[in-house]
Amino acid sequence: MAEIIKVEHLAKTFGTNEVLRDIDFSVSSGDVISIIGASGSGKSTLLRCINLLEEATGGKILFHGKNVLAGDMNEDEYRTKVGMVFQSFNLFSNLSVLDNCMIGQVKVLRRGKEEAREYAMEYLSKVGMAQYIKAKPKQLSGGQKQRVAIARALAMNPEVLLFDEPTSALDPEMVGEVLDVMKALAESGMTMLVVTHEMAFARDVSNRVIYMADGRIEEEGSPKDIFSNPRKEKTKDFLSRFRSERGE
Amino acid sequence: MIYIVQNYGGSLLSGAATTMAIALICTFLGCVIGFAVGLLQTAQPHKKDGAIKRGILRVVKLVLTAYVEVFRGTPMMLQAAFIYYGMGSVFGINLGMWSAAIIIVSINTGAYMAETVRGGILSVDPGQREGARAIGMTHMQTMMYIILPQALRNIMPQIGNNLIINIKDTCVLSIIGTVELFFTFRSISGALYTYFEAASVTMIIYFVLTFVCSRILRAIESRMDGPANFDLATNDTLAFTSGLTKYNDKTGGLH
Repeated sequence: MAEIIKVEHLAKTFGTNEVLRDIDFSVSSGDVISIIGASGSGKSTLLRCINLLEEATGGKILFHGKNVLAGDMNEDEYRTKVGMVFQSFNLFSNLSVLDNCMIGQVKVLRRGKEEAREYAMEYLSKVGMAQYIKAKPKQLSGGQKQRVAIARALAMNPEVLLFDEPTSALDPEMVGEVLDVMKALAESGMTMLVVTHEMAFARDVSNRVIYMADGRIEEEGSPKDIFSNPRKEKTKDFLSRFRSERGE
Repeated sequence: MIYIVQNYGGSLLSGAATTMAIALICTFLGCVIGFAVGLLQTAQPHKKDGAIKRGILRVVKLVLTAYVEVFRGTPMMLQAAFIYYGMGSVFGINLGMWSAAIIIVSINTGAYMAETVRGGILSVDPGQREGARAIGMTHMQTMMYIILPQALRNIMPQIGNNLIINIKDTCVLSIIGTVELFFTFRSISGALYTYFEAASVTMIIYFVLTFVCSRILRAIESRMDGPANFDLATNDTLAFTSGLTKYNDKTGGLH
């Protein structure tokens, strides 16, 4: 499978606080990678560094071999190819659902209005939100907002989609609808990098799981490896703590 | 009072028209100045910008801060005298009554609006900017299509406030001889020695002007908010023809 993103020795410090240390991994076409770990382990920061929302302080991010951090590639162009879905949705609150999904296509990709509309409708129906095109974000529930946010990201036809705890801000009864959409996306072959606390999703949907602790990748492997026989103590601890909290 | 209305009604109305014209034009120009200044003041240097560009931005910000502080911190009446007579005696430029009035009130409003706009931009959720940057929008596009429209909506009440303040504050322009409503009031009361009656009529006119304006602005605000409800698109031919899931009538979504 073709390699899309390769992260090499990525580091990030806030002042003297090392949030990410020596991160190495790669994302190939069709991968669905779940990143798990305790709060504060650097998962979200890693994702935000990959999308350049945070400036990494060291290392490389190679997109098809071009080092994005060294300016080998235009930042904005790179971002159109690496979509992002946020924990807090970040839908544009001044625009309708349809315009949320069109504005990037029209202004950034310079697609025509009609073409943009067709793409937007295609993805909005994929996430089951086509009916709501005239609504404003504040009129939607959390789960609906997140599904629109996914459609907005998809409408840019990205090569990779990053999810930053997409269900953490949702009421429990809405988690399912978003996970269903993500599952369907994964099955359709979308390349995804998902920071999540949904262990069932990580175990059942992803093909690779990365466990992070203290800003490092502690363990990486297939869901079966990580969940059924983790090699590292920290991973075992994390998973057992997680299971006991959930009463599993 | 009736005598005043009958005899001076025309000049009161033209005074009121002048007041309104100056207030409207100056609030508009003040907003333009305010947006420009507010945008520059919230601009962050790009990480790849060189020292020169950063330096220029800092100097510009310093100048703008000085402008805002000076014009907010001194009475407009004095600013009017300062600019109008200053231009005349120092530079030998005789500003017309209109242009002087408009320049003074606009830059004064601009100073207030700059702070308002800055606050308006800062009040927009940072997630909006991240959402826009994440789909590849440039800083300019993010500002134009996402941040400023929301900031504008947030500061609409403040813009209305400024318009109303401007309607009333144009009265200080009488110091440089602008024939607006207050100037007309002084002429009438000076000619007839009927201060109370003239003041009553003039106050009523001021009140009608400001009240009508504030109602109109409210209407504009609620229009910007859009309808409280939205229509479901049910007959969109494109809507359910593609995709992984079918729309379900009963549940309204993907279940």
